[in-house]
Order: sequence, then C-alpha cells, then structure tokens
Amino acid sequence: MTTLSTFALPVRAEEENLRPLPWRQMAWVTWRQHRTGLTAVTAMFAAIAVLLGVAGLHLHHAYAAAIACQPANSFACNNLVNTFNGMYGFVANGFIFQPVPALVGAFLGAPVLARELESGTFRFAWTQGFGRWRWTFAKVVGLGCVVTAVAGAISVLLSWYYQPYFPAGSQALYVSRELPLMASSPLGAGLFDLRGVTFAAWALAAFATGLLTGVLVRRVVPAIVATLVAYTGLAFAVGGILRQHYLAPLVTSKLNIPDSAWVLSQQWLTKAGRPASQSVLSHVLQGAPGQLFSKGGVPKSVNVWQYLVQHGYTQLTTYQPADRFWPFQWIEGGWLFALSVLLIAATVWLVRRRAA
Amino acid sequence: MNVIETHALGKSYGSTRALNDCTVAIPEGHVAALVGPNGAGKTTFLNIAVGLANPTTGTLTVLGGCPAGSQAGLDGIAFVAQDTPLYKNLSAGDLVHVTRNLNRRFDQGYAMQRLCELGIALRQKAGKMSGGQQAQLALTLALARRPRLLLLDEPMAMLDPLARHDFMATVMTAVVDDGVSVVLSSHVLAELERVADYLVLISRGRVQMVGEVDDLLARHRVLTGPSSQSDRYAEQWNVVHESRGASQTHLVVRCDSTSDPVPSGWEAHPLTLEELTLAYLREPGAAALPGPSWGRQAERSEATI
Amino acid sequence: MTVDKDDRDSTAPQRGSPIEFRLDLGSGVPTYLQIVHQVEHALRLGYLVLGDQLPKVRDVVSELAINPNTVLKAYKELETKGLAVGRPGQGTFIIEASLNQVALPELTELRRSLVSWVAAADAVGLDEDGIGALVANVLRDFRERRGGSADRRDAARHEAQGVA
Repeated sequence: MTTLSTFALPVRAEEENLRPLPWRQMAWVTWRQHRTGLTAVTAMFAAIAVLLGVAGLHLHHAYAAAIACQPANSFACNNLVNTFNGMYGFVANGFIFQPVPALVGAFLGAPVLARELESGTFRFAWTQGFGRWRWTFAKVVGLGCVVTAVAGAISVLLSWYYQPYFPAGSQALYVSRELPLMASSPLGAGLFDLRGVTFAAWALAAFATGLLTGVLVRRVVPAIVATLVAYTGLAFAVGGILRQHYLAPLVTSKLNIPDSAWVLSQQWLTKAGRPASQSVLSHVLQGAPGQLFSKGGVPKSVNVWQYLVQHGYTQLTTYQPADRFWPFQWIEGGWLFALSVLLIAATVWLVRRRAA
Repeated sequence: MNVIETHALGKSYGSTRALNDCTVAIPEGHVAALVGPNGAGKTTFLNIAVGLANPTTGTLTVLGGCPAGSQAGLDGIAFVAQDTPLYKNLSAGDLVHVTRNLNRRFDQGYAMQRLCELGIALRQKAGKMSGGQQAQLALTLALARRPRLLLLDEPMAMLDPLARHDFMATVMTAVVDDGVSVVLSSHVLAELERVADYLVLISRGRVQMVGEVDDLLARHRVLTGPSSQSDRYAEQWNVVHESRGASQTHLVVRCDSTSDPVPSGWEAHPLTLEELTLAYLREPGAAALPGPSWGRQAERSEATI
Repeated sequence: MTVDKDDRDSTAPQRGSPIEFRLDLGSGVPTYLQIVHQVEHALRLGYLVLGDQLPKVRDVVSELAINPNTVLKAYKELETKGLAVGRPGQGTFIIEASLNQVALPELTELRRSLVSWVAAADAVGLDEDGIGALVANVLRDFRERRGGSADRRDAARHEAQGVA
C-alpha cells in the first residue's frame, strides 16, 4: 500500500471519499439480528391465519345457512340457529386473542436494546461508523413497521371472522342474545380492540413499551416481564375505565335499548328524581302479578321494567351506542399511536444520551 | 496530530470518581500502552474516547481535535472492547457483512484474506470459536475498517500465550502496513513492554506517567548505595521511590540524563519499564508528566514533578 | 551461535535475508540492542556477508510481535555504525562486513596476555564472578573516560547483562 521510506513508518494519506451510509443498509443488519423473532412472529401469524381461516369459513357457512332458512321459526331452522350459536364459544368473546399484541411487543420489542446492553455487544454496534442513534432508529422503525403490518393483517382476519356476530343493522336473528353479555356490543372489552385499527395500535404500543423497558432495565428477561406487566396494566385501565369516556355517553330513560349498545350503568330513580334502592324496588314488586317473574323471583323481562315505570319509577341507562364504533376506534388508535411515537422518541433519546 | 488529547478530563459515576483531572496528548504513529491496576480508569478512558461514555468534567478530543463520538471519530476509530463482544449467534461471514454495512470504509478483500489465513470458516458461528479465534475475528473486523486509530481494551486477558503472540503480531503488522496508531490497555505490563513505544500510566483515576518509553527510561535510573548516605543524597536528587535495607538502599531517581556523575560508593543501573511503573505505582504522589507543550506533537520536554 | 527460530508459518519463506532474529525477553537488554547485537554477531560468524539484506521490518514484526519502531531504531543504529544502509522501497543491506576487526596477530597477543592475567587473578583467590565484576568495572570506567552519552547509556545497559 504505502511505501516504507527509510527508517520511518508509513504516514496515513488524507481521507479519500468515504462511501455514504444509506439507511437501508441497516435493513439487512436488522433482519439478520432479529431473524428468530421475526420468524416466530410470522409463524404465529401463519398459524392464526390458518386457524381463523378454517374456523371462519365454517362459521360463515353456518351463519348463511341459518339466515337463509325458511320458515324462520321452524324446528329445522332453529336447529341451524343453535348450531351457529354453539360454534367456537371460547373464541367468540375474543379474550383468547387479547395477549397477542402483548406477546409480539414484549418478545420482539424488549430484546432489541436489552440484549445489546446485557451481552455487551453495544460496545461493538455503537462504535461502528453508522452511529448509535441512527442504528437504533433504523431498527426501531423497521421492526415497528413489521409489527404493525402483521398485527394489522391479523386484525383484518379477525374482523372477517367476527362478521356474522355484527351484521349491519341487524334484526334478522337474535343470535347475539346467546353470546356472553360483553361480546354482544362491538364496543365491548373483549372484541373492541381486535377489530378495526386498534389491534395494530396496541401491538405497536406494546413494541414501543418493550423498547423503552429494554433500554431502562438492560436485561432481557426482566424487560420482557416488565413489558408484559405494563401492557396488562394499561390494557385493563383502558378497557375498564378510559374507553367509556372517549365520547360523553348517552343517557336515556327508554326501556328498549338495542342489544348492540354498550351499557355502562343502569339506575332506577324515584318520582322525585332520587336513586331508588334495591329494597324499595323489591317492595314495589311484591305487589306485582306472578307471571312477571321467572324462577327464583328474579325480575327478568321488560315487562317488569314496564310495571315499575307504571308505578312512577324511571330507569336511567348510560350507554354508548354501537354506531360509535369507528369514532372510538380512531380515538383509541390515535392516542395509542401517539403514545408509541412518544415511547420510541424517548428510547432513541435515551440511547443518544446515555453512557455505557 | 494527536490521536487522543484530553484536558483535565474527569468522570464520575455517582459518588465514585473513575477519572480525575487527566491531561494527556498521545501523538499519532505510536503504539501507546495504557497501563494501570484494575479499576484505575483505563476502560473508562477508552469508553470516553470512543463515545460510549461522556466526560463529567474536562474534554477529550480524537484524531486531531474531533469530538469523541462524532462522525469523524466513529469513522476513524476502531474499538475492540474487553472480552471482544461479538454477536455469538452470527457466523463469521455474517459479521463481516454486518461490519461492512455499518461503516463507510471497509476492505472486504483484507477481511476475507485474513479469515482464510486464520483458518476461520465463514459459516462458523462466533459463539463456537475459541477465545483466540474470537479475538482475531474481532481484530480482523476492526482492521478491515482501515481506521486511523485502533483502541484495544485488555485484548489479551482471555488469551493463551500463543494466541496473545498471534494477536499482537497481527496488530504490529497492521502498524507497518497501514500506519495505524494503536492505544491498548492492560494491567499486565510485561506483555506490553516489547510492543509499546509510548506509555500512559493511570492509577486511581489519575495519570502518573506519560511519555515515550525511550524518553522515560532515559530519564530514570536506580542508584544503589549505603543507607547511611541515602538521606543526604535523597535531598539533592529527584527520588521517586526508595527501597531501604539496613545497610544498602536502592533509590529510583529521575534525572535529566543518565550521564550525571554518580558519587563514589554509589552505583547506577538502568531500569526496565516494569520496574519503573511499579516504582510509580507504589508512590501515588509521584508523577512524570510533560511540561506545558500541548497542541504540538509530544516532544522531549522537561519532566516536572 | 545464532539460533534460528523455527519456521512454522505457512507464508512464503523469506527470500531476502539469510538470518532471522530472536528475542530474549528475560535478559533485560532492550529489544533494539538485541537486534543490533544479533546482526553484529552474525557478521562476525559469517552468517551475514557484504551485500546481504537484513530481514524486512514487516517480517520481523509479524514473527516476533514487536513494535516496528524498535526494528527501525535498530536498523538506524546499524546505519550509524556504518554497517548497513536502507534503500527506500528495497530494504536494508549490509555495506560493511568487518566489525572493528582487529588483525589476527594482535588478537593472538591480547589473548595470551589475558590468559596469564586470569591465571594470576585465580592464584590470588579471585573466583570467576569476581573476575567478571572486576572486568566490568574497569570497562565501565574506561568507557566513561572516553566520553559520549550514547556510549554511557550502552555501557550502563551492557553492565546490566554482564560482559558482552
């Protein structure tokens, strides 16, 4: 290379033009380093797709058969309805899919930085010419897009699967009556975040949480655990408390609330407008004719409510109507996305600032 | 150009001071040894130089004034950290590919040729290699980046003697071929003595000795003589360390040149580098630092106390 | 008796130089001086003759794992002594094969007087180590009187290892 002048070492020539470092060069590096995680996510997606596909086709056929059956209340047609209602009960309320975003986020997101910090390989990766914050940013954006895309695809499949349970403007069959109460509303806890955009948004949020815990905790297994815990906490908080307040709930004194509405609370008021206690109501109902009650003395049908209304009581129902499904989706998807961006920004900032 | 230059560099982790008021200028074209006991601050120093840590006080610049961790610093410096961290589940070929993608300058031909010479198969996973092979692989990746400065943090701690020899031979050959400057740290001075021509001695976070090895050795000697006279002469001479027996005393002395006359009854001996560093390590207050001639290449200057 | 290091690498054999260097880590003698001495010794014994090439710096460095500046310093010292010269792009070559050669009759005479001196010292009761120490002492004084800081440094180092 350089010639050895007499009794002196070669002097380094001035820098030649160095190659540029485009962002896409990180793509191969990211893929190679996270091959296992990405393969696992893809395999999981494929498995879910196959299962949903097979089961979904089954479900759709049964639904179509039950709908098309004439006459509507014959024995044969009721059989078809019962068949439909009996299908995949454990899947119907959606809870089985709830952990999916958490798992994807925790197992793909937490190791990204935690493994580098735990094993010491950041001393290699962050001293290369690419630089540490660009390295982090490229990885995070690349993997984040994959997570969102896979979750989005699963969510499309789920929407298709659950279609028979949420026919538009349905009155055709009371199929929804047989499902557990929560699932009958599209806004209900188990199903709301599987359809539309929120599934992908939750997955991205879990991924972003994993990244941040990874850089804070610096150990892979504790970071995964911390991510799962944080995600679970957030999911419960949102489902149980936050979601119902996205838009001011409607209050009505009508008795015929559609099954698809998400009932938040119900309350009986006296003529004077004060809350009526259970004992007062029971007292009033004691004078009611027997056919209003079912076994066990529990007032079940709307007729009981009408009886109480005739006696001057009002039922106030606070609820969210089903047609608010998409506004709620956008609201939840929106703030989750903003949260993800914030968490990712915090992660990149910490990487940039933090010392070894 | 100074490959690493610091001014009053300090680093604290909470209440622990890892580095304290370190001022050093390591010129290019040398193989500099960063020596000191465990916990002295050598790794902290290198981490700051390479951008993995930020100084608490003072400054550190690299490659002629670039900030540590800047793009110029990242491009021009290759770092092999302690225990040579590599992605254990990646193969040698993958690691070459990764390094190529992450750097502006990469000599693919050199990397392939070295792996061939070392007998490392491209498909072999890094985790399955021996310690010596991993170290050589990490070194190959670093040198293939054609850096101006190579930083090695205790590179030989895990290596057997043969692996150590091969490792250093590779580094020295790269110095000849490519003119790369080297700074390597170790707590075992003996293995650095024949490769280092510049020395930085760090102890308890402070720099005790800095300078070219030849220069430092030329300015120190051991004077052996009767203990009865040693106090008298100790005042005249610049004594670094004294080792006193009942009748015979050895004084490690700093002098302007070893041709100063020796009083009768006394003998003068030269020192090995190891003896010299041990003498300073035993005297935390002693220091052999160059005078106020920063900014230029470190030249032979008056040693100050 | 120069001992060649075992040639165990599979790289191309050194075409240029007849000799190879070895390193004695425990001797306390600086590396560059060891190289200088080995060249002088090889010249004395005839392993190296006029016009021979000294090992390339790169080869020495990759074989012994020493600092290249050390080798360069040794070669520069040999140039100062007038024994070798460096040709840019080619290497370092021997230009003077006679090393302060003393003519044979003088050498024989010196040897004879030394033998009788040693016998006299032994008769007085001085043992081998005592003889060596006395010779080293006188040699050092002689050099100091002759002057020159480089010589002094060399003398001090020679003293550390015993008589050269």
